[in-house]
Amino acid sequence: MTEAPLISVENLTRHYRVGEEEVRALDGVSFDVMRGEWVAVVGQSGSGKSTLMNLIGALDTATGGSYRINGKDVEHLSDDQLADLRNNEIGFVFQTFQLLSRSTALANVELPLVYRGLPRKERKEKAVQALESVGLANRMHHKPNELSGGQRQRVAIARALVGNPSLLLADEPTGNLDSATGEEIIRLFGELHKRGHTIMLVTHEPRLAARCPRAIRLSDGKVVADGPGAEVASLGAPPVQSPQAGAAA
Amino acid sequence: MRGFLDNLGLAFGTLKGNPLRSLLTLLGIVIGAATVVGMMALVEGFRISVNKDLEGLGAGAFQVQKWPATFGHVDRAKYAKRPDLTREQGEALRSLPHVGHVSIEAYHNGRPERVATRDRATKPNIQIVGGLPDYQYANAITVADGRFFTDTDIAVGGRVAVVGADVADVLFPGESAVGKEIRIRSSPFTVVGVAERRGSTLGGSQDGWVVIPLDPFYQVTGKVTNHNIAIQATTPDDFNKAQDEVIARLRGLRGLRGIQENNFDIYSNETLTGTFNQFAAVVAAATFAVTLLALVVGGIGVMNIMLVSVAERTREIGVRMALGARRRRILSQFIIEAVTLSLLGGLLGVLLGAGGAVMAREVWAIPSSVPAWAVLLSLLSASGAGVVFGIYPAIRASRLDPVEAMRTE
Repeated sequence: MTEAPLISVENLTRHYRVGEEEVRALDGVSFDVMRGEWVAVVGQSGSGKSTLMNLIGALDTATGGSYRINGKDVEHLSDDQLADLRNNEIGFVFQTFQLLSRSTALANVELPLVYRGLPRKERKEKAVQALESVGLANRMHHKPNELSGGQRQRVAIARALVGNPSLLLADEPTGNLDSATGEEIIRLFGELHKRGHTIMLVTHEPRLAARCPRAIRLSDGKVVADGPGAEVASLGAPPVQSPQAGAAA
Repeated sequence: MRGFLDNLGLAFGTLKGNPLRSLLTLLGIVIGAATVVGMMALVEGFRISVNKDLEGLGAGAFQVQKWPATFGHVDRAKYAKRPDLTREQGEALRSLPHVGHVSIEAYHNGRPERVATRDRATKPNIQIVGGLPDYQYANAITVADGRFFTDTDIAVGGRVAVVGADVADVLFPGESAVGKEIRIRSSPFTVVGVAERRGSTLGGSQDGWVVIPLDPFYQVTGKVTNHNIAIQATTPDDFNKAQDEVIARLRGLRGLRGIQENNFDIYSNETLTGTFNQFAAVVAAATFAVTLLALVVGGIGVMNIMLVSVAERTREIGVRMALGARRRRILSQFIIEAVTLSLLGGLLGVLLGAGGAVMAREVWAIPSSVPAWAVLLSLLSASGAGVVFGIYPAIRASRLDPVEAMRTE
């Protein structure tokens, strides 16, 4: 392959000290993600998913190993450089939406561009476009508490898209939604994937991972499987699985 | 600059979100700013009105007194030992070449009295003064009705009086006071003149007085031996010569020689203005002390509310950081919020103080004038308090860990 991967993770470790004990939340993780891929990261709670997500999102720094995104080495960046990296390269979608409750949908979507220093007019144009692209053109001036859960997550996705980042990083994006709404959101991610966005989706639900072209399974801080979503999802599934059991995990 | 404007917008958003809380927090700063502006407006008003009054005395006028005309602490014992300024000493100044009018004035302990007719009486707030015809010139009195008493009145020992407008109003409402009889401590006097109204200064009327000739004054009040002597130089240019002559003559009359200190004080408009400005500076210093205290109290309020605001918005701060806000951006967001908050308090205080000053002038006729520098000073120190007391909460906000912060409810 001649094209360089968008994300290159090599032997990444993250250790925490909890009292006397050292917890190895990530213990030597390596993988690449190419541009345009849609990758699910699955695993039980405590498997290291969230830690990996924080490292990929440049919200946290690793104890060891290396992480490159879009040609930038993340380990040696200063706080300000990390902030700029998050602003330019990453679009976050959180389980709990993380919208600013006192701001309108439009203002929420404009926020990443505010920190990029764009003029007001340009900011607004782009935010409107992003909201239109997630089907919320008519809800721009509503505040989050005037929107349904699915609409809130769409606002959050618009906010993640507005700065045209290299990577959409979604952490359990359907975790706080009912199954029908969750399905809508997953379909939206499918569309974004088709439009060429690179997506990493962290989830504990094998059913969701099965929908992704590729999935990486973590267990005890290590990669235990990396392959087509459907395969990886079934590999780690409990022997007898009913939909209820999967949802409760 | 764009970042600054965005942060300013954020700050106003927060304030609007909690108007009552913001207002209560700002009370200290509001009071501080209102105190500065209000007090300084009063001092400035006094200064202007005192200067105006002194101008009325005319150029080339000065006063000789036993007691010093200072504000604040006076060592009474030191001045009490000075010999009195007698009427004879005053009379002896008339022959000096550059001295024009000499007004020899006697007051009875400065205590106000009741003045009455058969039918009416004033409140005991009338100043009785013993004087000579020159009193009129030394005190810039214009007679509106009748005349001032003359040397002839003095020579014949006439029991005559010139009264201020308030006295005439109270005792002879709706009629001319001239030719009527008034009683001071039961002694009858004939009113020969009513002075033109002067209005009020420092909140007190300037028209509550009666001047009678010195000899009957001694009879009514008991022997008074100390006098104030007001002197007018022949021309304003001769002011210094007149003053030198008066000092030399008085030193001779009072037996002072060589290096002995003068045992009397001389005041002119200039020295009085200087003394007043000294007093104004003391008031200003006291006001600043009060203000500083209010600002510290107000600043602690601001710090408190900012800490609450940071705690309440921990999740928001985490989200902002995740979306690419640099730490310094978060820092400036909260400092600008604190400054906006305290500046708003400062503005409110300025309005309150200026409003109070205008009310004092319009409703109670207390002279006041809001000086621009006091307004500026209030706003500056309010913003200063915002920066000083906003910095710690802002640092706390900027040091949050985004992952932890987003986890808080």
